[in-house]
Amino acid sequence: MAAPKPVGIRLERKKDASLLNWNLKRLHPPEKICVPLRQGSRPCVRVGEQVRIGQRIGEPENPEEATVHASISGTVTEIAAAPDAMGGMSVRVVIQKSTEPKLAPGVWEIRKGWEQIPAGELEAAFQCAGLVTTDLSAEPVHSKIKRHAAASTLVVNCCEPEPYVTCEQTLLLSHPVEVLKGAELLRKALGAEKILLAFETCNFEIGELLKSKIFFLKWTHAEARAVPSLYPQGTERLLLQNWFPGEKEKAVVFPASTAFAAYEAVAHQKPFYERLVTVGGECVVEPRSLWLPLGISFQDAIHACKGVMREPERVVMNGPMAGIAQADLNVPVTAGTAAVLALPKEITKKGPEEPCIRCNLCVNKCPAGISPVMITLAADHQELETAGIFGAAACIECGNCGYVCPSQRPMLEKIRTAKKKLGISGTKPAGAHHG
Amino acid sequence: MAENGKTFSATPAPYIHSADTVAKRCWGQLAALMPVIFAAGFFGKTEFLHVLLLSLISAVAFELLGAKLFGKKDKLHHGEAILIAVLMAILMPPGCPSEAILLANFLAVFIAKEFFGGMGEYLFHPVLFARVFLHASFPGMTAEPLVLHGSFWVLTAVGIGGLILVRQKQGYWETPFLYITLCSFCTFALGRWGNDPGNFFSGVLLTAFFLLADPVAMPLTRRGTRLFVAGAALLSALLSPRGFSMAAAGFSILLMNLLTPWLDVWLRPRPSAAEGLVNAGGQS
Ligand code: SF4
Ligand code: SF4
Repeated sequence: MAAPKPVGIRLERKKDASLLNWNLKRLHPPEKICVPLRQGSRPCVRVGEQVRIGQRIGEPENPEEATVHASISGTVTEIAAAPDAMGGMSVRVVIQKSTEPKLAPGVWEIRKGWEQIPAGELEAAFQCAGLVTTDLSAEPVHSKIKRHAAASTLVVNCCEPEPYVTCEQTLLLSHPVEVLKGAELLRKALGAEKILLAFETCNFEIGELLKSKIFFLKWTHAEARAVPSLYPQGTERLLLQNWFPGEKEKAVVFPASTAFAAYEAVAHQKPFYERLVTVGGECVVEPRSLWLPLGISFQDAIHACKGVMREPERVVMNGPMAGIAQADLNVPVTAGTAAVLALPKEITKKGPEEPCIRCNLCVNKCPAGISPVMITLAADHQELETAGIFGAAACIECGNCGYVCPSQRPMLEKIRTAKKKLGISGTKPAGAHHG
Repeated sequence: MAENGKTFSATPAPYIHSADTVAKRCWGQLAALMPVIFAAGFFGKTEFLHVLLLSLISAVAFELLGAKLFGKKDKLHHGEAILIAVLMAILMPPGCPSEAILLANFLAVFIAKEFFGGMGEYLFHPVLFARVFLHASFPGMTAEPLVLHGSFWVLTAVGIGGLILVRQKQGYWETPFLYITLCSFCTFALGRWGNDPGNFFSGVLLTAFFLLADPVAMPLTRRGTRLFVAGAALLSALLSPRGFSMAAAGFSILLMNLLTPWLDVWLRPRPSAAEGLVNAGGQS
């Protein structure tokens, strides 16, 4: 049987605005940042202590977890719990900026002979750098590697199907070789044989760039492969599902920015304390992707892009399809924050909810191949069992069904609630741990 | 810039929308019906206008009444009641009494639609429900509607309207295609072609494009919809004594409406086929 036709929506990508300022800049450090500690870790600094960039400030109890590092230099003024962007609470280390930015010893120093580093030492290097995956799961890289010891293929995800978000694209266009080298390090640590780089067909320039770099590196074990640019094709679960049907344990997916961070962690001994974030949306004066220290507030992130030119209706973390709207802009940027979007009224407006007219659209656009309409109708009538029969567990929470519904039903919310009641953990647990 | 402490509304995702709405769909169908209305008005003259006006007024009145009685907000701006009224006027036989029109709209808007729970909830196509009911119980309603007494121009008008509707991509392209081919083929095979192919095709096109355009009482999957359409086409060919009979077509669609809940369960999408995602809760 031929491979099933990829299911998805051709969304308006709206990426041009933030690609215009394509050079990746770093900020003048903000006055104050609040670095959230990961769940189960305790602070290893005291209030009043001086910290430097890259210094370890949070230590996990459990060796499977990741350390947390300071992203600016200054004085620790407070250690307290505060709400985060995922709707949970986490302990934060508040650092007040000092006048002179100072690096912790050893940070940003080239590691001698890093290209020959044996595979056994890589995991320790990742762990020492507090490296976590740069997606919402924010899983420590060394434990993800351990969990996928059987994988023979490393998939580097260079896709960004969500509108507005361009951080991976800008990163790949600026540092393709570094991403490839980082991917090679991850491959070595995994003990995998092959590297597959997934890029979207509409970003063929990324594909060409990667192919030419692979050619010059004389790598025969790496390959760039296209994914149709249909939302949500190019997300981790669908990559695994489409490329490795039936043998998902054979592959492991890392985002391209994680590969880049792995390169920096190993080659430059740089702890994971900053990430590329797209600050965008129609309301932002100068939308762009830039390096943001972890723990900077959304407010300061938007400020770094010259603020907003008009009042946004929603401020969303990550894309507009599956992101999370924020009530309060003091939440910090974390490893899972790919974008901070300020969206105006005319983009986010939505009519009142109507009854379902059974138009079939949500069924046809669901990449998980389930029946969103049946699940939501069953959930409306409190028939959770039926919701389960119609495949609620398979939902990947992409938001397609809510996007197409002519009756403007809040499909994703209903499905999430049904899943919660059925005891199925979502892809976005509220109050998830991340660093 | 929002000051510190200003809060935004944090509704669930997605934050963008395809801009498709129920109202757009209804008004789109009405726009596609315009050529048919013009053709019917041209051939039916004042008689058709009388039917149309009466139908419109009564449908709107019943919609308002229903909203009042069931304590809901009326949904006139959706144009659904108006769509029902227009379709009803087109399907009425020429020279039908005013009471019949009133009763038809009462049955369609009040009984078939509002009583079953309003928009999106009804089990039967309201227009066909009312039309078939009248056909069975009202003298003088057994005649074929005006559009089936028309000519080449009516056929053209229905065709143009159908193309407009297909261009709006509200439903599947194969719905009218399947219905037209299957229905004509079976009628031909049964030797019931009749002596007026113009009439036959006006009826088939009207049914294929406009009476199968309401997804509410149709299955929830593409495969189910195909089966539904095929079933309706075959039944209508079998039940029509000669040529094309509106009542037979309507009755066959109502019968398939009745089967829809079973089709939905039987042909539901099976996620287990999609890589055992069923138990894949959580991030993998
Ligand atoms: S049901 Fe889940 S997977 Fe399917 S379209 Fe909706 S959100 Fe996406
Ligand atoms: S898209 Fe909305 S209206 Fe259409 S079938 Fe799904 S839930 Fe119903």
